[in-house]
Amino acid sequence: MKIAVCIKQVPARDWQPRVNESRTWVRDEDAAFEMNEPDAYALEEGLRLKGRHGGEVVVCSAGPSRVSHVIREALARGADRAIHVESDGAASADAFEVAGALAEAMSGESFDLVLTGLQSDDQGFAQTGVVLAERLGVPHATIIMEVKVDGGALRVKRELEGGWFQWVAMPLPALLTIQSGINQLRYATLKGIMAAKKKDIRKVAASGAHRSRQRIVNLYAPKKTKQTQLIGGTPAEAARELVKRLRDEARAID
Amino acid sequence: MILVVAEQRDGRLNRASWEVVAAAQRLAAKTGGAPIKVALLGGDLAAAAGELSAAAVAEVLTVEQAALEPYTADGFVAALAQLVAGQAPTYVLFPHTYLARDFVPKLAARLDRALVADVVSLAEADGTVAFTRLIFQGKLAADVVLEGEAPYLVTFQAGAFSADLAERGASPAPVSRADVTIDAALIRQKPEAPFREAKQAVDLSQAQRIVAVGRGIRARDQLPLAEALAKALGAELAASRPICDAGWLPIERQVGSSGQTVAPKLYLALGVSGAIQHAVGMKASKTIVAINKDAEAPMFELADYGIVGDLFEVVPALIKELQR
Amino acid sequence: MLSALVLALLVVLFGGLFVVQLSRRLLLVGRAKGTLRTDHVPARVSRFLREVVFQSEVIAGKPAVGLAHALVFWGFVAFVGYSGCQFLKGLGVVDLTGTSSFHYYALALAPFALGVLGGIIFLVIRRVVFRPEALGPLSGESVLIGVFIATLMITFLLDFRLTEGPAAAVNWWLHLIIILVFLALIPGSKHFHLVLSPATVFLKSPVLGEVRNLDFEKEEVGLETLADLEKKQVLDAFTCVECGRCQMNCPAYATGKRLNPKKMILQNEDALLIGRMDAKLVEVYDPGVLWQCTTCGACEQQCPVGVEHLPLILGARRGLVSNGEAPDALGAMYNHLERRGNIWGLISDVRQKFVTSVGLETFDPERHEYLMWLGCAGSYEADFQKALRSLFEILRARQVTFGVLAKERCTGDLAKRTGNEYLFQELATANIADFQAAGVKKILTACPHCLKTLSEDYKPFGFDVEVQHSVVLVSKIAGDLRLPGAEAVALHDPCYLARYAGHTKEPRDLLARAGAVVKEPERSGDNPFCCGAGGGLLFEEHEEGTRISQRRFEQLQATGAGTIVTACPFCSIMLKGAQASANAITQVVDLMTFVDGRIKSAAAAAPPPGARPASLQPVP
Repeated sequence: MKIAVCIKQVPARDWQPRVNESRTWVRDEDAAFEMNEPDAYALEEGLRLKGRHGGEVVVCSAGPSRVSHVIREALARGADRAIHVESDGAASADAFEVAGALAEAMSGESFDLVLTGLQSDDQGFAQTGVVLAERLGVPHATIIMEVKVDGGALRVKRELEGGWFQWVAMPLPALLTIQSGINQLRYATLKGIMAAKKKDIRKVAASGAHRSRQRIVNLYAPKKTKQTQLIGGTPAEAARELVKRLRDEARAID
Repeated sequence: MILVVAEQRDGRLNRASWEVVAAAQRLAAKTGGAPIKVALLGGDLAAAAGELSAAAVAEVLTVEQAALEPYTADGFVAALAQLVAGQAPTYVLFPHTYLARDFVPKLAARLDRALVADVVSLAEADGTVAFTRLIFQGKLAADVVLEGEAPYLVTFQAGAFSADLAERGASPAPVSRADVTIDAALIRQKPEAPFREAKQAVDLSQAQRIVAVGRGIRARDQLPLAEALAKALGAELAASRPICDAGWLPIERQVGSSGQTVAPKLYLALGVSGAIQHAVGMKASKTIVAINKDAEAPMFELADYGIVGDLFEVVPALIKELQR
Repeated sequence: MLSALVLALLVVLFGGLFVVQLSRRLLLVGRAKGTLRTDHVPARVSRFLREVVFQSEVIAGKPAVGLAHALVFWGFVAFVGYSGCQFLKGLGVVDLTGTSSFHYYALALAPFALGVLGGIIFLVIRRVVFRPEALGPLSGESVLIGVFIATLMITFLLDFRLTEGPAAAVNWWLHLIIILVFLALIPGSKHFHLVLSPATVFLKSPVLGEVRNLDFEKEEVGLETLADLEKKQVLDAFTCVECGRCQMNCPAYATGKRLNPKKMILQNEDALLIGRMDAKLVEVYDPGVLWQCTTCGACEQQCPVGVEHLPLILGARRGLVSNGEAPDALGAMYNHLERRGNIWGLISDVRQKFVTSVGLETFDPERHEYLMWLGCAGSYEADFQKALRSLFEILRARQVTFGVLAKERCTGDLAKRTGNEYLFQELATANIADFQAAGVKKILTACPHCLKTLSEDYKPFGFDVEVQHSVVLVSKIAGDLRLPGAEAVALHDPCYLARYAGHTKEPRDLLARAGAVVKEPERSGDNPFCCGAGGGLLFEEHEEGTRISQRRFEQLQATGAGTIVTACPFCSIMLKGAQASANAITQVVDLMTFVDGRIKSAAAAAPPPGARPASLQPVP
């Protein structure tokens, strides 16, 4: 199976973002970067599928030169080769721009399956994968928990709201966005790291034909921050207040 | 015109649809009072459409087709592309549900139009409407302006607008059929019936809600209290290590740093101190509630909501409250 | 002449058997990887003198048995001259046995012979009658050797009486033949240690549990197959004297796990002799044992012949980890270390909250004497942070200046001990760069694991600054503390503080001065029984057999003290967990919290007016 996994490099989860002068994006010179966590699960799923069905895993990523770190990390975990779409503005671009650039770079290869994470930890659009599917002209399914491949047919388990699930069959080639936490991520082994140095990374310049369709005009810190709310009163009062907050505020119960 | 695409399943309207109606009404107010229409897609829409017609909107459009039941991304996009072409709205609004995440980006790509997702409120910039969304794990808010031509697609975060604030109309809005043609042969997804996971084995990692007990439960014969709370919440029962060590609950129910790492939507810890080995196993839970006699318990650091008190008094009160 | 010829033939025969077997084994050493280390010669010579010549380890580990063995050993050495002369006489080379110096020499040997005889009888009885678990199943060969040794002494003593006649001849021949047979048996038995152990003791690293860095340029990945074993490890396999001290001191073995350090060394020996050098180490040993080791170091410390178990176990772990075969719990921990720089994967805001709440300043070499290193536990573990609060109060009362780094990443201790060498080196080089950029000259830490890693494991990278454990510093600066009281506490010596770093005095001093009476559990001081956290076992929820932490907790409880005191965050976690699981009332408290509490309660017990209150203020 020829599997493509699209990954994004995002600032580390504990990085405290600072807004730039024009308030249109962040200043990330001091940030540490890592592979977007949902994409790591997509990569793991891709590697497991390769393990079961043979073939190769090609990792694709759009971004500036620092993206090579996450590409190497993916190669160290077992991906066979990579495509790096060079684009300095990819991090702040919208899904249309990124998906367009990726589709262009991937068009020459005929992938059987394309996997992406559910959404990115930075902008969190949850769109790039689906837009990419449309651009590549393949069917897609999102929030996938399990992937089964049999011959040329695909059967995937989708997560629905409220604890429901659904199996969907689709022909290959197809694109899937993978739910986080569905498998145990392998770590990059020493042998993998050594082998990664010799693996091929094809660099492609973004054509610039695809532009973002949205623009941030104001970036600021939101008012609410996470604080532990201690609920006082008698047990009956506290219970009532807790249920109310869980229902209306946290929306953790209906 | 503002087009709201509501969501239904098995004929029942999704609560989030009302929230989007409220959002549409707010957006209309900001854009010179544009008319609002609500669309519904599916197989049997009479009941849901009837419910929606109570809203203060201009029209309810039903797109009733056999090919749209069950839901498929290909089917919905084909239908909506035609509907949007026919209706020519300025904005198309959706709730940011699992379903919408599956087909709305594809629709946007098909139409080649802007889509801003997971919006929490409306704002203004340069005399035009802007949409606010949270980025970087909620650390920053971004006001976003859409570019290119109409229609503009927007999805709204669940709970961003209160369903109660959706205005009802003085008289029911007219309900009409919208006709689209869908070639069923072009639908590539073949979905099977949705199901709930059979409760054969305990798999805490899949649980949506968890009630965890720690040493604070004091004795094995007090477990039924925790079980009753779990039942009232539709939650799975879990435990910290001492409980499983003592044999009060099987090892499959232990939450800890190795083996069982859980990330439910709701984690309610009863009498759990929150020592680090337990904490790392559940810190990814979306909403954490701690009930403990000891105000210094590390669990309170992790919790979103905490009650410092005697769980033997608080839990019965909670159960009563939940059953109301 | 005939007898000389016969003797010569026997010497060639048995000597030849000896040489053949010896060569075979030395060839295996020669073919093994790596080099034999001989740096730090003074330390090695000193150890050689102590442990080989004076038999210090042998006697200290088990006094009665050790003394018996020492007598046999000293006797052996003394007898070399005697036996040599007899052979020279028998081969017709030269006869020195008639000289008066030889006569005095022989007389001087008599007490040695009695010592040997007494010793060997004691040891054989122990082996045959008492069958201690440490020695394993009864070995006929060992008994035979014991009989040989006894006979050699008896024949020597009889030689004074039997000067002529057939009896004398038989006695004499018996003596020499036994020596020759013994010689031939040496290489294939545990008595090979006679030849090898002086070397293995000399070659043993002066640092306990030293595991050298992998050289990634040379594409080293650790020990995967038998062929990867290094020279010292092959020597160790053959020098093992099967005394079982490593086994009996191993906390995993003691709690019913399959891990048995003695068995591992002997499995190496058997596998090497079979010669399938491509055999995977993980298949040579029992399944799963490599992950049952807490790296407490008791095995290596107790070994009287210089076997180094830790480089073997850690080396084999590296081989597995390099191939992605670490247990899942450790795999998750590696991801945490990689992404968040701490073993639990927690976000640095949590650490920042603590730093702010205790008013810790960012380290500035102009204003701060020490870099206070919090470590993973100090940054994220609530209980240990309470202990740190106590420590900071004590330090501040004594005007010790310290600051912290704005951001910390794990020292890499757990990566190193579980075999993820790449991650360890990444963390180490990044940390060292930070230390150098910040101008750090002295580091203070409250975690013994951080202590070991920062002081020893960072040295190969060229990083060598003073690293101190807080208990040592506080014991120094609180030298004049004299609190009343006699509260009984059980002290749990952390392996990485007491065994690795040798600090057993300071915690006891400090506790005594804080008005506590230390009750020693079985296995304390520099040979404590591990709490069970080390080597990655902190993350292993499902242990084979009894939990190590539970066993240790019971040992500490058995002292009768109401409070258990320790000086390591991981010992605390394990013992508190054991206390919770046992639903026990014995409290587990960090040493700093205990001392701080005693200071505060002494101050609260209002002193009579005019008297100086008991406190930490220095006596002017």
